Amino acid sequence: MKPRLKVLWLQGVTCNGNTHSFLNYPHLLYVLETFEFLYHSLLPSTYTLEEISTCVHECDILIFEGAYDPRMERVGTSLETLVGHYGSHAKYVIAAGSCASFGGMFKHSDPEHITGLGFDEKEPKGPFASSPKLINLSGCPMHPEWMGYTLRMIADNKPIAVDELHRPKELYSYLAHHGCTRNEYFEWKVDSDHFGTKEGCLFYKQGCRGPMTHASCNKILWNDVSSKTRAGSPCFGCTEPDFPRTNMFETKTNMSIPQDVPVGISKRSYLTMAGIAKSFHIPRLEKRLIDDNT
Amino acid sequence: MITRKWIERIEGEASVQFTFEQNKVSFATIAFPHFRGMEAILYLKPAMDALVITPRVCGICGHSHLFAAVRAIESVYANSGFPLEISPKAEMIRELTLSLELIQNHFKWLYMVIYPELSHLLQRPIADSCRLKGAYAASLATKVLAIFAGQWPHSSYMIPGGVTCDPTYVDTVRAMGILDELIRWFEKELTGISLEDYLNLSSAKDLSYVSGDMRDIDKMLRTAKMHKQGFSYDRYMVLGNHGFSNPSKYINRRIAKVNPKLVMLEDPYTVDEKTYAKNALYQNNAFETGPLARAVTNGVPFIKHLHRSFRDSTYTRIMARSYETALLLEHCKTLLQSLHLDEPSFIEPNKKITSISGEGIGIVEAPRGPLIHKVTLNKGIIDSYTLITPTQWNLSCGSPQTPGPAQKAMIGADSIETATFTFRSFDVCSVCTTH
Ligand code: SF4
Ligand code: SF4
Repeated sequence: MKPRLKVLWLQGVTCNGNTHSFLNYPHLLYVLETFEFLYHSLLPSTYTLEEISTCVHECDILIFEGAYDPRMERVGTSLETLVGHYGSHAKYVIAAGSCASFGGMFKHSDPEHITGLGFDEKEPKGPFASSPKLINLSGCPMHPEWMGYTLRMIADNKPIAVDELHRPKELYSYLAHHGCTRNEYFEWKVDSDHFGTKEGCLFYKQGCRGPMTHASCNKILWNDVSSKTRAGSPCFGCTEPDFPRTNMFETKTNMSIPQDVPVGISKRSYLTMAGIAKSFHIPRLEKRLIDDNT
Repeated sequence: MITRKWIERIEGEASVQFTFEQNKVSFATIAFPHFRGMEAILYLKPAMDALVITPRVCGICGHSHLFAAVRAIESVYANSGFPLEISPKAEMIRELTLSLELIQNHFKWLYMVIYPELSHLLQRPIADSCRLKGAYAASLATKVLAIFAGQWPHSSYMIPGGVTCDPTYVDTVRAMGILDELIRWFEKELTGISLEDYLNLSSAKDLSYVSGDMRDIDKMLRTAKMHKQGFSYDRYMVLGNHGFSNPSKYINRRIAKVNPKLVMLEDPYTVDEKTYAKNALYQNNAFETGPLARAVTNGVPFIKHLHRSFRDSTYTRIMARSYETALLLEHCKTLLQSLHLDEPSFIEPNKKITSISGEGIGIVEAPRGPLIHKVTLNKGIIDSYTLITPTQWNLSCGSPQTPGPAQKAMIGADSIETATFTFRSFDVCSVCTTH
């Protein structure tokens, strides 16, 4: 057996959501065969966290989950020391989740001191700001397949191209909107008039951020079966640096026009298209998808 | 002599200081050093945002937080004179996904914490792949959950008035297929007998029919004398109302009514350490919460029998949580079968949340026991938010005169290792305890 790459999974200010998301990964056996976990809070590991905190070991890949607060201590050692030591030896530093990537939810508990590993929202900041080692797997939580992909690409020595926010392009060039079962309603501007229906698009009233959010949630389904929008919940844009926003179940509008329009599409083009689409009355899309009366 | 030990792998860490007298633990303090300020994050946010924020209290029981948050908001509606109507379908789907979250939690705890720690204690190492069994079983449970909730962890599909999903029978059939697979796995790997036979066990003697990993765990627990230690107050508290739980307390061997208003918070006892966990008490008394509490107050025959023989030992506590997994699997099956999909998923509140002010409380049974969310809204904006989590009961840190349930259970242990194992039998979650 060839020597396994050494991985250390450290946690900062977190809910452990990425740990639990990753445990849904269907190929954990591959992961354990290919990587040696120096420490992980639930998977078999070589050392205890107390042993890790002495900073005498080294890892090839540092996975960090949660927001970064340099002063926070894990079993008596500050994150500054831990991340500094393990990060400087590692070849790759993977930020698991939006807190580790951009500060995320837990940045809000102390916005002055807390950031992501390399970004404070979208501004470069933190111990790995502008570091080529940094790979951000944003998402709250990140999808297990995204981590699976990243680890396997590293193990196979394949390059991972990243966007300007250090997110793998192959995962984050898609929008959450791509593959949503409500796409046709979006096209023809048929909104969902209330929650709890499979019909209609959630863009106009319910706050859906799908067209503004870089994520492959509707391509690589969650838990292999669904996604927020398929289950009738709006996308909250949890892979973006401004997550969490406020009023997440409502679309911000100015004079009943959505304040934000799909990425890379000018407001004018959007409004022209929307205006035309809206002017048609399409009975099929206004009815229930599965008609009870026939 | 005082020995300090970091206990890891409990969704974070706790620092426990053991006092030994005559080679036995005579007292222990429990401190949780991490704090995130969830309640402050919620302050002045629109009420609905609590449905996105509160699941992030905890990666393993976020769905329970979602459920408590939605019940809290619905209770504000009710208290301000606008009770919401929830369809039986939406109620059942909520209960189904909550039960599935409990199931995934219990599988992880059993295979990723209890089984390996027990083997370690007895110096009988188990294969690494054994831990993965827990992850596999849990992932099947969350798959079923996600069919309705969109994803796990961190779904926000429960909203005041119902649920956002609108499943078809194609979805429920798919869900049943995966649930069947999980039940088959459970029978093959964990119990070696059918779910039905396992649910029909009535006494400790019947455990001889069980094979599979449960047999091994049962034997090891006895070898480690876990049925003779880990005793706590034998007082239990259940506050969440579900098909699998009965809100009540058990004290002096009797089951009695409870009033959530009598739940109180107290500062923890500390000597020279910082801790962020507040103690949860009922009328000044410590109570144990979780699966054992639910089983005793609900009169589950097999667990009642074990409880009669072994009281609230570490053994009974562990058996109760494992057994609850079976009860919940059966419960999910029934729920899936009884869904009427022609009912509405969501009934729109006829008052906008922005015109709602007042107080509300939402209580659910999370994997580790009652989870309470209390909220005050001012025209739909959060004026205050209080979270009281199950681990604040079990892991409360009292003085030597008034130890919390886990503290009391560790007293008398002959080593730090056995005391720590008993500690873990409560299924400790650090992130929930401090939030
Ligand atoms: S990004 Fe989300 S899932 Fe990850 S730690 Fe933060 S709150 Fe939890
Ligand atoms: S619900 Fe959201 S993701 Fe789906 S089509 Fe509409 S805007 Fe796109």
